[in-house]
Amino acid sequence: MGWTTRIRNLGRRERVDAEIEAELRSHIEMAVEEAMRAGLSESEARRAARLRFGNPVTLRERTMGADAALTLEAIGRDVRYALRQLRKSPGFAVTAILTLALGIGATTAIFTLIQQVILRSLPVVKPAQLWRVGDAVSCCYAQGFTQTSDEKTNDWSLFSWEAYKEFRANTPAFQDLAAFEIGEGNAQLAVRRAGSSSPPQTSNGEYVSGNFFRTFGLSAWRGRLFTDVDDRQGASPVAVMSFHAWQQQYGSDPSVVGGTYAINGHSFTVIGVAPPGFFGAKIDDGSMPDIWLPLTMEPLIAGPTSRLKNPSLAWLDLIGRVQPGTNPAMLEPQLQGELHQWLASHLADMSSPEKAAWQKQTLHLTPGGAGVSLLWVGYKDALWLLLAAALCVLLVACANIANLQLARGLRNRRQTAVHVALGSPRGRLVRRALVDSLVVAAMGGAAGMVVAWAGARLILYLSYARSAQGSWIPVQASPSVPVLLFALVVATFTGVLFGIAPAWMMAQADPMEALRGVRSVGGDRHWIQRTLVILQAAVSVVLLSAAAMLGRSLHNLEHQNVGFDPAGRYLVSIDPKVSGVPQEQLVPLFRSVESRVRAIPGVRGAGAVFEAPPGGWMTHEVRVEGQPVPGPEEDVTSGWTRVTPGFFATLGDRIVTGRPITDEDDASTQPVAVVNEAFAKKFFGKQSPVGQHFGPAPERNAGLYEIVGVAANVELEHDLEQPMYFLPEAQSTHFDDADLENREIWSHDLYNIVIWAPTHPLDLEAQVRKAVADVDPNLVISGVERYAEVIRFPQQEMIATLTLLFGAIGLVLAAVGLYGVTAYGVEQRTSEIGVRMALGADRGSVVTLVLRGAFLQVAIGLVLGIPAAMGAGSLMASQLYGVRPWDLRVLAAVALVLGVAALVAALLPARRAANVDPMRALRDE
Amino acid sequence: MARNDLQGSLDLLVLKTLAQRGRLHGYGIVQHIQRASDELLQVEEGSLYPALHRMEQSGWIRSEWSLTETNRKAKYYHLTPVGRKQLDEAEASFEQLVKGVRAILRYA
Repeated sequence: MGWTTRIRNLGRRERVDAEIEAELRSHIEMAVEEAMRAGLSESEARRAARLRFGNPVTLRERTMGADAALTLEAIGRDVRYALRQLRKSPGFAVTAILTLALGIGATTAIFTLIQQVILRSLPVVKPAQLWRVGDAVSCCYAQGFTQTSDEKTNDWSLFSWEAYKEFRANTPAFQDLAAFEIGEGNAQLAVRRAGSSSPPQTSNGEYVSGNFFRTFGLSAWRGRLFTDVDDRQGASPVAVMSFHAWQQQYGSDPSVVGGTYAINGHSFTVIGVAPPGFFGAKIDDGSMPDIWLPLTMEPLIAGPTSRLKNPSLAWLDLIGRVQPGTNPAMLEPQLQGELHQWLASHLADMSSPEKAAWQKQTLHLTPGGAGVSLLWVGYKDALWLLLAAALCVLLVACANIANLQLARGLRNRRQTAVHVALGSPRGRLVRRALVDSLVVAAMGGAAGMVVAWAGARLILYLSYARSAQGSWIPVQASPSVPVLLFALVVATFTGVLFGIAPAWMMAQADPMEALRGVRSVGGDRHWIQRTLVILQAAVSVVLLSAAAMLGRSLHNLEHQNVGFDPAGRYLVSIDPKVSGVPQEQLVPLFRSVESRVRAIPGVRGAGAVFEAPPGGWMTHEVRVEGQPVPGPEEDVTSGWTRVTPGFFATLGDRIVTGRPITDEDDASTQPVAVVNEAFAKKFFGKQSPVGQHFGPAPERNAGLYEIVGVAANVELEHDLEQPMYFLPEAQSTHFDDADLENREIWSHDLYNIVIWAPTHPLDLEAQVRKAVADVDPNLVISGVERYAEVIRFPQQEMIATLTLLFGAIGLVLAAVGLYGVTAYGVEQRTSEIGVRMALGADRGSVVTLVLRGAFLQVAIGLVLGIPAAMGAGSLMASQLYGVRPWDLRVLAAVALVLGVAALVAALLPARRAANVDPMRALRDE
Repeated sequence: MARNDLQGSLDLLVLKTLAQRGRLHGYGIVQHIQRASDELLQVEEGSLYPALHRMEQSGWIRSEWSLTETNRKAKYYHLTPVGRKQLDEAEASFEQLVKGVRAILRYA
């Protein structure tokens, strides 16, 4: 009913306004007429009517106020008014919008990444129906019948193929339960079109169950996706390609589908392309699957190191789609029961500690709609840290704009007082001030979207563009709907935040000032501005000290002792398994590759290794000959790897005692090992290990390897103290134990060749590729990198760069804020300063007066900011390397930087104050 | 109740006045209430016009411009059917209130 009238009233304010005015006028006239009839003179009658009537403007406003539609209309008018005011002061407009754009942009940029990395669901049908069996995100396979994930003992997150089949067969609550190969255990594939002679394409493969795509409710972009038939043993080998790989590596060639490809030397038919946007069920940086293969194809590709039928090797993540209406709280205990049943069927295969613990094994059901994200695990701390830093920048920006608005409001104080005196309702003035702030915030937010897009791109560039070739992550910088909503909310919130102070001032406006005149002494409202500057100083201290700590941490990381000198050294990544080199050919293959590479002019050494530092290694429990059997709680593990004779000299890893591995250590001689200092210390203390024997558990292997030398420690995964032993490529042992044997075979595939070429020959990469191709054209090289690039820290670099950027923005904004407030203070106190100078104050004392005021605020800011900075430091301790959460030198440096910035910001107004002409100042008064 | 600006009562007075007098302008409403109550009730213009505006927005009354006896343009208000219903309700609830207050006052 009333609403239709209200809506019709929209845009007709002027007319309604005029009508109310006419009605009121007619009322007064009638009252005057009546009074005159009663015998009053016209002027007396008019006076009496007006007195009775009260303030006509107020009455009109109140009458209008009874109308909601008119309130909407009035807000529209306030918006137009605010825009007009902004046009009138372009300096303010540009400053405010740019400042806000930086603040909102920084926050939104970080949020873009958080949304994509942390909050996003997989692009699949009804992600809420997906549940994951397991709660931890693991990089690597788990061995045995007990499992520990994320430091939670006896908690299962990965499963063997056999366990998966048990779950799938016995859990009707799942419509479908899919299994896929975990995180970094990707199959490295070499893919070549059948009959083609071009070098094979290296690809990331992922083994998935036949119902994988069906579980996620996906349909093919081209061709078809897997069905259970493709995942049967004996099925003809088929593969599905990711849309990304199809587009990037195969130029969206439609003939890919149905084509026959040699994958690691085996013939596969590509049956389809997955839909765009689906990157797989696990999200990782760098090893997103290009090609999916059915689980049952794993033995074909992996050969003797196949994991498929090993029940004690867990290498699959499980995600299932539950039947509608399934209660996950009921499903979880059922799955736990199934796990126990399956474990019970392997009692005979368990070691004695496993037998003691198998009944304590459990698992947890977690939401699976977001997939399994290694990216989330790797980046969440960094992203939350950056979001906090961006919010600090936003806070400083808000304080700045609040200050600008306040100064603007104070300048217009007389006008406001006149408005109030003339009967403008205060609510109206407050609303206008808030609308004004919101208009500025909206414009800042719009500009901030551009900053956010550019910022997110910059972050992605800093994190990934310079890392290894071919790696990419499924994260985009372009804004999505949630990001736009976020920016909208942030902009509105900031508008209200920095609008409160000016609006409050409007509410306090004193109509008497209109009559009295606004006195030009620093009013009592000045404390708001001072408080804001103090806040800015304190937040800047936190930002700057965080930036300084992260910068030092990065510096420490980059200049830490890694045990060798990366300068002049290169790392070649190859994969002989992918190229189908038979096991017995590996030793001569590496021997000839190394000799060809050594022949390249400028190369002074070459040596191959299973995985070069700072990368991975394998782990065994060690038994030392002649030492007592260790207790079950004792840590007797050591890392181990396999190398060719040239490795130590090429890497520059010094042999401390004994000898390195040489060409004489081959199949015909005693099995030997070189150990590192950490190994020697762990197992032999101060004794010399050379000549001693050890081997992998159990005890019967204790005499296997003879230690011939000790090498200096080399840093591995940030740990200089990781015990390691090195075995020669040319020696191998046959183990009865299937797992030991599996790893023994696996370890002979050396993935890296280290090259020492201190003169940095120009076309080294091309020559290395040629040398390798000369030995075997099928050998795939996936990269040749400088060692200095390999041991970079892109994530830490990104965090340190951004925090420094945020700190710098915060500092500049705080300095601008201090400048503004000090300059405004000087402007307001011109006459006071004039009086002081007339009474004999010299310029120096005026400058001191102004600077003292400014520095008092900075000092209070420091007093508040330093404890906050220490608190922030301990919160981000996990991100710091070799830096204490608070460091006196860092804090002193931050205080100094802030002091210099404050001096620069306050000196300009101070000089202006010193140049006040006392006569003119007093005359103006 | 000399100066009545309790909103509910003001609405009741205005609606009743319009029900009794048919068409009336704001000034006339003020005058009528004053006279009919033997000068006991005075309506403030400051409250009347916002109230009239609000009641019109709610559809209780309708207005039109017309000429007074002295040939002056004035805005005349009259009740709508919705307004009449509203008046009945307001009257009933007012009777209840008076009855209640009286009962309290007579309680011995």
